[in-house]
Amino acid sequence: MPKFLHTADWQMGRTYSRFDMEDGAALVEARFEVIETLARLASDHQCDAVLVAGDVFDAQTVSDRTIRRVFNATASFSGPWVMLPGNHDAALVESVWSRAQRLDAVPGNVHLALEPGVITLDEQRLAVLCAPLTQRHTYDDLTGAFSDYETPEALVRVGLAHGSVQGLLSEDIDATNPIAQDRAQASRLDYLALGDWHGTKQVNERTWYSGTPEPERFRNNDAGQALIVTIDEPGSTPAVQAVTTARYQWHQWRETLSVDSDLDQLLERLQALPQASVLDLRLEGQVTLAGEERLNRALSEAEARFRSLLSDRSALKLTPTDEDIAALRADGYLGDVIEELREQQSGEDGELARDALAILASVLKGQTQEAAE
Amino acid sequence: MKLQKLQVEQLRQFQQPLVLDNLQPGLNLIHGPNESGKSTLVRAIRAAFFERYRSKSVDDLSPWGDSGASPTIRLEFEHQGTPWRLTKSFLKRARCDLSIGTETYSGDQAEERVAELLGYEYSKKGSSKAEHWGIPGLLWVEQGTGQEVQKAIEHAGDHLQSALNALVGEVASSGGDAVIETLSAERNKLLTRTGQPTGDFKQLVEQRQELQQRKADLQERVSRYQDYVDRLQSVTREYQHDQQTRPWEAAQQQLTEARARLDKLEQLEQQQQQETQTLSHIDQQRKLTEQRLDDLRRIDQQKADRQAGLEKAEQSLRDAKARGPALAEQLRIARDDYETSQSRLKTARLLAERQRIGKEIERLTQRKALLAGNRDKARKHQGQVAEARQQARDNRIDAGAVQDLKKTEQALGHERIRSQAIATRLSWKLAPESGARLGDSGLSEQGEQQLLEASRLTIPGVGHFDITPGGEQLAETRRKLESLEQACADQLAQLAVTSVEEAEQRKLAYEKADQQRRHAEELLHSVAPAGVEALDAELSEVELELKNHHQRLQANPLPADADDGLSLSEAEAVNDRAESHLKTCEHQQRELEALTMSRQQARDNAFAEWQRLDQETGSQAHQQQLADLKQRLEALTGERDQARTNLEQRAREIQQAHPDILRQDIERYQITIDNLRNRQQGRDREIREIRARLDAWGAEGLEETLQEVAADCERCERRYRELSRRADALERLVSLLNEKRQALTRRLQAPLQRHLDHYVSLLFPQARLALDDQLQPDTFTRGSELGPVKDLSFGAREQMGLISRLAYADLLKEADRPTLVILDDTLVHSDQSRLDDMKRILFDAARRHQVLLFTCHPEKWQDLGVLPTDLEQLKSAPAPAS
Repeated sequence: MPKFLHTADWQMGRTYSRFDMEDGAALVEARFEVIETLARLASDHQCDAVLVAGDVFDAQTVSDRTIRRVFNATASFSGPWVMLPGNHDAALVESVWSRAQRLDAVPGNVHLALEPGVITLDEQRLAVLCAPLTQRHTYDDLTGAFSDYETPEALVRVGLAHGSVQGLLSEDIDATNPIAQDRAQASRLDYLALGDWHGTKQVNERTWYSGTPEPERFRNNDAGQALIVTIDEPGSTPAVQAVTTARYQWHQWRETLSVDSDLDQLLERLQALPQASVLDLRLEGQVTLAGEERLNRALSEAEARFRSLLSDRSALKLTPTDEDIAALRADGYLGDVIEELREQQSGEDGELARDALAILASVLKGQTQEAAE
Repeated sequence: MKLQKLQVEQLRQFQQPLVLDNLQPGLNLIHGPNESGKSTLVRAIRAAFFERYRSKSVDDLSPWGDSGASPTIRLEFEHQGTPWRLTKSFLKRARCDLSIGTETYSGDQAEERVAELLGYEYSKKGSSKAEHWGIPGLLWVEQGTGQEVQKAIEHAGDHLQSALNALVGEVASSGGDAVIETLSAERNKLLTRTGQPTGDFKQLVEQRQELQQRKADLQERVSRYQDYVDRLQSVTREYQHDQQTRPWEAAQQQLTEARARLDKLEQLEQQQQQETQTLSHIDQQRKLTEQRLDDLRRIDQQKADRQAGLEKAEQSLRDAKARGPALAEQLRIARDDYETSQSRLKTARLLAERQRIGKEIERLTQRKALLAGNRDKARKHQGQVAEARQQARDNRIDAGAVQDLKKTEQALGHERIRSQAIATRLSWKLAPESGARLGDSGLSEQGEQQLLEASRLTIPGVGHFDITPGGEQLAETRRKLESLEQACADQLAQLAVTSVEEAEQRKLAYEKADQQRRHAEELLHSVAPAGVEALDAELSEVELELKNHHQRLQANPLPADADDGLSLSEAEAVNDRAESHLKTCEHQQRELEALTMSRQQARDNAFAEWQRLDQETGSQAHQQQLADLKQRLEALTGERDQARTNLEQRAREIQQAHPDILRQDIERYQITIDNLRNRQQGRDREIREIRARLDAWGAEGLEETLQEVAADCERCERRYRELSRRADALERLVSLLNEKRQALTRRLQAPLQRHLDHYVSLLFPQARLALDDQLQPDTFTRGSELGPVKDLSFGAREQMGLISRLAYADLLKEADRPTLVILDDTLVHSDQSRLDDMKRILFDAARRHQVLLFTCHPEKWQDLGVLPTDLEQLKSAPAPAS
């Protein structure tokens, strides 16, 4: 009853340009930690092996330190690891893998599937049919060769590949590195462990994308998991269990504010998010000056609480109310200016007008406060 | 606001209180000459309002030399129905009191109230300056500053603004300007005046560029890295492919085969070379054989040639020999002729000699006769010469001495005559024998004697007479006479003559003998120039020679054939011809001999040659050799043809094997092998190089670094966008605010413009004075003229200044602000007609405002329609009770 952990798309060496330095560093660190998490999970679940379906590294030329840390992080699981080169870390004549080997960073229990073929784990009763990418891109179905690979009948036949299953994923996803949808059946695989799609996705009962164990984009669906696959014996339907591995949850909110209660709801939702969140917030609609002040305060608090908060309010119009303006004591032509900017927000340079209005409001507010003091 | 009363005391020249209390609500004309205190009053009003009562900078207010004074000003005015009383004392007793209606204020508070009412500020330090004066600064015109309205308007700015705001009924935004200022400051932190990034923003822009550059550099390196990887991939594949297929080995095989073919070919070529050598050998032998054959044949030919030569030589020899006898006969005749001519020539010569000797004898004989004659004549002449010489010797006398003697005797004669003339004459006749004696000498019976010296005449028996001649010269004459007599005697003695006549005779005889001698000598010389002895010698020589010739003639007897008749020259000519002919004949004889000899030699040679050849050709060995050579030549020709055929065959074989192409093939295969091996080695090298480079670059973690830099870059970009947006927003905001503010200002301009138009139309119909954004008079238009106010004449600017001020006053009035217009000797630069217009304007303005007009030219303002206040008169008025 072989049992193994299926993971992929670690993308080690990736950095996060959208975030501040500190946040980016923390997110990078989380990716190293998740490897340890995976190793621990494999141990905890008494897996026989860990199969990594490509893109262990985000690039060919990552620092030596990164390479060493990746392999060091596997230490908690002493069983066999099979790592497959994906499109980001293809097994080129000179690659991150050859470098790792030269660095002597690859532990003995880690098998690098640098060439197409079968890695037989007799003890684990697993025959891993590997279709590594040896070029950055290919337009052939590398898994086609699986059909020709003969494996001992007693072993469970598991395919390990990296690419996009034909006709399943939307067209704008990489058309390169194609994989036939019926590969498992056609090549008599008990299970086909795939990488490249960053969310967990089942293609059919024998074919799965595990997704990345730690999300690195906002637009992944069901990212941050690993799959624990149990196959009773050759030919059995695999039992697949998704396990959460992510440390941070990535959220992307696109909210439209129109009335005060919208703002209230948003603030409540913010409040409800756990600390280990990475939030990308884009607001549209309109808000009063008083509302914006509340929003500012709430976002300021959230920024401190969450791992990271990105907010885009460029499409959120400011609609000062009469009370707002009165509070700002914007008399005379200042009032005219506020009125004009408020109107301009709907025009061509709406963002500019919005920014100008926000600045004016803050200055006026500062002055009224000074005056009050 | 209406000023009702003004009182000053202890202030400059107003030690005593001066009160100005009949001030009218409208126009007030206060006049006085210079120094009358007119300006002091103006100063007093200004001090009362502008200067802090505590100010230490108002010393100018003190009366001159009175440091203990307290300059004091009291003002009473009414504003909006409420009476205001302001009393201000400076310096010594500094204080300020104010009552407004029933309220009273003092000190700073009082001052603030007044400042608030009129709209001005106090100086924080020192005396009040123009920038503090606010609205009064605009309405109170100091002497000579009427035209400078711009600064005054600026200083009045805020007060005017608030007045205007109140007037237009709009809120000009209480904090608007402060907001603009704040936002401008914010904007200026990011942007320069021209809108370029500055400060942090600028740094960010630079940082952004730098990061982008770094990113681009890294991207470039990553791309190169990937290119290297690709290159490595392809080179490795090629390398491995060639390692397996080993294409150079196939090429090697081809090379080996080609070499084998070439070896064969080379053997053929060697054979060809040998055969060529053989052929050339045969050719050479053939040539030699032919040569020898030719040689043999040539000997036969030579023999025939020699035979002909021999015959020819013999013929010529015969010809030469045939000429011999004729030539010998010719020679003999020539010799005989020559001998005959020789003999005849000898005879001719002998005859000629005898003739010559005969002639010589004849000549010598004649000569001998001549010489003998001459000798005889010479001997006769010789005797004559000797005789003449004897004669001369006998009569020899010195001609000079004779001459001297003659002179001496002459002188003596003369002297005697003289002495007789002077001597004492003694004459006497005496008895015979008287025996008288004169001196020692007896005297004759009769006689006469001249006595020249004392003489004694003795007469015997008688005694004696001593006679002494007188005369003074007598002694000298007597001495001279004596001397001459002596000289004459001496000379005679010397010449051995007794008298002069004898001397003369001897001299003549001598001269005659000498002459004869010379004549004889000349004759002698003519016949015997060399002397008689030479003549004798010559004669004997001639005689000897003559004798010789006679002997020679005898020695040459007359030949027998002497009658031949040929002269010597003829004989010589005949002889010459005979000799010449003989020589010719002898020469011909010798030549013929030589010719005969040489021909004989030639014939002998030719014969010897012919004989030799005749023997040679005739031998059997010769014939045998000829036959052998012919045979050998035939054999060699056969061999040659065979060798040629062989060579052609070989050349065809070689041709068919294409040796050039074969060699090219070998070169090609060799190069191919080299290239293949080199390329493989090159690949190996390149693989190692690329690997080394990739290893080095890989250690840098290029892509990871790139990601980091890209992240930095994006952060920077984000920050840049934020700042950029903020800068844009600020820019927009500031410009929008300014725009609005200006629009508002333009609205505020309207009422002011209205008042301004009112006054301008009074001064210049159809003219207009436009205001700028700052509510300043800006451009002046009259008809088609248009120009800035500052370009107008001084007078016009002063008028415009006053008009503007009055317009402001109207505006302030409308805004319920106090207006008091004070003009200190204004409009002095206006001409009469313009001044008249200005008076209308002033009169019009005074209907709305109180106007205090101070002047020292009251006559100019007579028609202002107000009662002037004479300051002088006021000063002389009794002081009011305080």
